[in-house]
Amino acid sequence: MSRARTAAIQLLGPIALIVIVGLLGSASSGAHQIDFVNALVQTTIVIGMYIFIGNSGVISFGHISFVAIGAFVAGVLTIPSVVKPTLLPALFPLLANHSVSPFASLLIAAGAGALFALVIGAPLMRLGGLAAGIGTLAVLEITHNLLRYWEKIGPGARTLSLVPTTTTMRVATIGAVVSAVVAYGYQRTRAGRLLRATREDPAAAAGAGVRIHGQRLGAFVLSGAVAGLAGGLLVHALGSITTEQVYLDLTFVTLAMLVVGGMNSLWGAVVGALLISFLDTYLGYAENGLDLGLFRVNLPDGLSTVILGAIMLAILVLRPSGLTGGREFRIPGLRRRATPAQPDAEEEDGGAAPAAETSA
Amino acid sequence: MPGTRTGALTAAGIAAVLALGACGSAKKSDSSASTSSGAASTSATTTADKGPIVIGAAVDDTNFMRPIDQPPLAAARLEAARINAAGGVDGRRIEFKVINTQIDPERTRAAATQLLDGGASVLWVTCDVDLSTPSIQVGLAKKVLTVAPCIGTDQMGARRFGDAGKLAFSFGNVAQDEGAAMARAAIDKGWRTSNLISDRALVYTQNVCEAFSIAFARLGGRVLDRETFTTGDNTISGVVSKINKSQADVDTLCTTAGRDLPAFVTGLRGLGNRTPILGPWSIDGTYWLPKSTSAADDIHLVTFASVFADDPDPKVRSLIDEMKRAGQAPTTGGFLTGPETVDAIVQAIRDNGGSTDGTKLAASMEGFRDVRTSLGTISFSPQLHTVFGREYRVIDIMGGKGKLGGTVRADAPVTLGG
Repeated sequence: MSRARTAAIQLLGPIALIVIVGLLGSASSGAHQIDFVNALVQTTIVIGMYIFIGNSGVISFGHISFVAIGAFVAGVLTIPSVVKPTLLPALFPLLANHSVSPFASLLIAAGAGALFALVIGAPLMRLGGLAAGIGTLAVLEITHNLLRYWEKIGPGARTLSLVPTTTTMRVATIGAVVSAVVAYGYQRTRAGRLLRATREDPAAAAGAGVRIHGQRLGAFVLSGAVAGLAGGLLVHALGSITTEQVYLDLTFVTLAMLVVGGMNSLWGAVVGALLISFLDTYLGYAENGLDLGLFRVNLPDGLSTVILGAIMLAILVLRPSGLTGGREFRIPGLRRRATPAQPDAEEEDGGAAPAAETSA
Repeated sequence: MPGTRTGALTAAGIAAVLALGACGSAKKSDSSASTSSGAASTSATTTADKGPIVIGAAVDDTNFMRPIDQPPLAAARLEAARINAAGGVDGRRIEFKVINTQIDPERTRAAATQLLDGGASVLWVTCDVDLSTPSIQVGLAKKVLTVAPCIGTDQMGARRFGDAGKLAFSFGNVAQDEGAAMARAAIDKGWRTSNLISDRALVYTQNVCEAFSIAFARLGGRVLDRETFTTGDNTISGVVSKINKSQADVDTLCTTAGRDLPAFVTGLRGLGNRTPILGPWSIDGTYWLPKSTSAADDIHLVTFASVFADDPDPKVRSLIDEMKRAGQAPTTGGFLTGPETVDAIVQAIRDNGGSTDGTKLAASMEGFRDVRTSLGTISFSPQLHTVFGREYRVIDIMGGKGKLGGTVRADAPVTLGG
């Protein structure tokens, strides 16, 4: 099988799954569509995280900062200027006097995420291991507190409301598909392969002339852009947002999605994100009483979180490299015959599943 | 066979994703309870048909808003049952459909959508405007009358939600009025100087302190020291130290019954400071008090009703007894807003000949001036979609026990800047 065909199949799997979920969502009722849109937006967030974490092997606890920046930038810029004086009285004049279309706000959100990633990534990407993980966590804290207390750039501790709800099922699906294409496209480039080499063996990669800092920074900025875009999609899906929604809970659940699916492949990121998102949603519904045709599930309050945690724990214990084993999508029976001229099968597959640099 | 196992696990994962996704088309229960049986068939624009009037409540029954959200809802259901027993609203029954949002924003939004798609004519939301914004926006987008029983800010209305906000109302006491009533209560008790401690976590707590400050100054009082904190930011110990150094007649504390409230009281009393503490409705009740009775002493607050069996209104005492018999004894006076909300909705529907059209109901409500309900009177204005002008109960907590200390009214709601 040619490399191009392998690549096409590997990309087809995640895209097909995203599109199927989008179609299922379109066929569902209004209230349930919100769950599908939410799952697709979370998938976009996880894909953004995968671009950096999956390819570099460096765990980042700070990617939700980019989501937060994207969400608040897109939200503040699309609230009608006429209501800003009462809704956000302390806003900088530049933000208070200008509004843009939701589509433009998504582009600006992506740009803001990328810019922020560049600024903080320049020093942070010199770190590795636990220091990098803690550094990104510090970035999350700083971002959260800036957004929570600095009312010149947003609503502070209050809810940002009146954001146009333009993230429809179609928009959410397109957003996730575009992110998947970007992520897969990046990992197939020379830069993506060099970064993966640093993940497998940083010393050997550096010895071979790979600039680890530069490669990591490039991926960090790209993942910041995708995470910023996801933040824009998120705020336009919800119509409102608070700083608490883009903080620790979202950080840990999206990291769990990535790890459960398999953090070394795009396929793993997509499967993990959708699976955990739907599990979380429907276990929550089950606490209110969920009719499943033949039987009715009624969980005690709080049990959904326990079950979700237990499922994630079981997957991590039994399958440390995630459900997909960190491999890209493949069609059973269509195994590529490796030749000496082609990269080995493991590399094409997204590589083996080495431990991440940080497990904090 | 690692490859086979990976394939099987991946296939299982995908199957689970699709199965869970397909659950979206499965019919979910959208009601934990309702006051009567029968299918809901109303819509927001239905006029005077004979189906039930469905009030869809997207509220918390799990998280920290549970003690705030549930008592008004329980009391509202009793009021609806009473109206139904008396023949309903021109023959139509009132039904409640309730979904527990767990104050998760996505679930809150989905719950509101589910309730309105399921036929609710009025949307009932959680008692905090920030937490309920996802549901409020759904209600307003569908042009449905959207009510909160006890949001205490002026944010329910155009101020927060623009033109669409004309359909949003709250039956809590607006902070501009409540803060002014606190100031009157302080003056009545002979306190002429106050420290002011404001929690930045909520618009309500900030507004009620600001309103107190303005009204207190108008009544001849003087604020000595102002401190702010945000619940959960671990700065309360520093606030206690600063307040302890500023000896005023009273320490006015505007916060909620989170972990910082007992920390403040315990910390201050632990330093030997016996200055009276005054607060708004959000610190009503004794459930949050420190165990030490010497610490839980000389605390005063204004609220809707006394839950200590000594409310001056016999109807209120009777309702509390009824709630106790139903196993839903109220812990704060906030329960009173539930029946008033139901009564106001019914009044607006009757005013409009049975229509549940949100715009018409909202127009009626905006014109309410001292409208009698089963438990008091309520007023709204085009500027304030949250109740003002109520008679407040002053509760005195001495030695860990609460009792009615009197009643008070605001001279007038104050105007806040910004």
